[in-house]
Amino acid sequence: MANLSVELCGVNLKNPVIGASGTVGFGREFDEIYDISVLGGISTKGLTLEPRLGNPVPRIAESRGVILNAVGLQNPGVDSFIEKDLGWLKSKNVAIIANVAGRTLEDYAQICAKLDGLVDMIELNISCPNVRAGGMALGIKPENVFEVSKITKAQLKKTPLMVKLSPNVESIATNARAAQEGGADCISLINTLTGMAIDIERRKPIIANNTGGVSGAGVKPIAVRMVYEAAHAVSIPVVGMGGITCAEDALEFIMAGATAVQVGTANFTDTMAMPKIIQGLNAWCDKHGVKNLAELRDTLILN
Amino acid sequence: MKEVLATVLENKRIAENIQSLTFSTGEVIPVRAGQFLNISTGNGVHLLRRPIAVCKAEGENITICFQLKGEGTHQLALVPAGAKLSVLLPLGNGFFVKESEQKVALVAGGVGIFPIISVIWEYAPKGKQIHSYIGFRNRSAICCLDELEKSTALTVTTDDGSYGLHMNAVQAFVADMDRGNVPDVVLSCGPTPMLRALQAAMQQRDIPCYVSLEERMGCGIGACLVCVCNQTNGTHARVCKDGPVFNAKDVQL
Repeated sequence: MANLSVELCGVNLKNPVIGASGTVGFGREFDEIYDISVLGGISTKGLTLEPRLGNPVPRIAESRGVILNAVGLQNPGVDSFIEKDLGWLKSKNVAIIANVAGRTLEDYAQICAKLDGLVDMIELNISCPNVRAGGMALGIKPENVFEVSKITKAQLKKTPLMVKLSPNVESIATNARAAQEGGADCISLINTLTGMAIDIERRKPIIANNTGGVSGAGVKPIAVRMVYEAAHAVSIPVVGMGGITCAEDALEFIMAGATAVQVGTANFTDTMAMPKIIQGLNAWCDKHGVKNLAELRDTLILN
Repeated sequence: MKEVLATVLENKRIAENIQSLTFSTGEVIPVRAGQFLNISTGNGVHLLRRPIAVCKAEGENITICFQLKGEGTHQLALVPAGAKLSVLLPLGNGFFVKESEQKVALVAGGVGIFPIISVIWEYAPKGKQIHSYIGFRNRSAICCLDELEKSTALTVTTDDGSYGLHMNAVQAFVADMDRGNVPDVVLSCGPTPMLRALQAAMQQRDIPCYVSLEERMGCGIGACLVCVCNQTNGTHARVCKDGPVFNAKDVQL
């Protein structure tokens, strides 16, 4: 049995596997299938200030090796989460990462103020269209990444800040640095890549929103490259994600510089994906004589 | 709800573009009428499993029937006997017939007949009077008549009149109701226009009517909020977890 625990901004995770935001809700549904306390952490469904109904359906489509989604942040609002779900989630002994989304910078600041001290970590979703950025996501331009990191960090006296970076940018390294300079305690990446899938019989996009976020096994090489570039641009920890399906995938991210990983789409392909990845990490470490998984971080040897 | 690696026992075409797939889960997993499952296509390029209604559950063996529509269902139709498929089941709420409801009307069309067969399978042996109104596109689409004939009374319609009555299932049901054959409860599954017609027909009548909905799904267990439907109270319900069966009065179709 290897020691799989990792430390992320002062938060101890029993293993590096975190359920990615939007794929695991607030944990309750997966807990009906397996005890989610086996996980290192859960990143919640994106929380907004007010409840949101989200986009029209269809909200999901598939293309080979990937899926596309445009749920549009349907969620009950941050107050409802605190009142109805947080207590239960705390009883599960997993690191609770509250994923936060806003329409304005003030939204982000207010939600963070409400959650400060209540959860283990805040993860900013800065890929949603934002009023301040003229409808463009705050996550695109480095100056906006800096600004949203700074304004939210100012509200967080107790809870560490993780900024989730969008891959739909000019330079992931520049944006990673912007988050760090704005005060992020760590970064996570990649959020989904923007894509489109078309029903040629109807000559219409399958997703009602026309475009959606692309995720799943097929995006992994892009994600690994970006995690590598971001991890080597900043001194704060990096949480890697994008197409992780098995323990070997998770190890690629860890070797590229990630402290922990998030698993999203794989939860749909196999409900037991995360427990299997945790078991697989343990088996790989045992087979390779690795006593502490954390030793593997950033051990990539470039050609 | 259970994640299993099922073994395919039989995979065959039963009508034009309709496939029947039977697999063993290796253990008895109780499934109620109208529940569904999430099944892998057998090809790793498809990251989403397909949500398909359970047609029959007999001990460890489960049969699903589906229309060959996109790449995923065509792939699923190619899976040979002996192959393993990942399956998550049972999912959703299913159809319930109360003790007090003796006479049950089943109104179904197209692939909607398969979850309806599960109702006949579960409730016919319990002595319920089952009146089924089943619509097919045409004669070549007809399948599962032997299962449907386990109803107390069966009315088959086709859109082109090539078999049975030349009308749709809702018209046949309403005509029968107008003749005085009034059920205690109506259970339905089929294309949205059909459900909409049924919803409209039942609006002025004081008979409970339940419809099973279909939507593109992600997780299948209520976590990802992909497969929502609009409720008449202005909120969203999750088709996979809160449904797929809803009171026709509660949903906007």
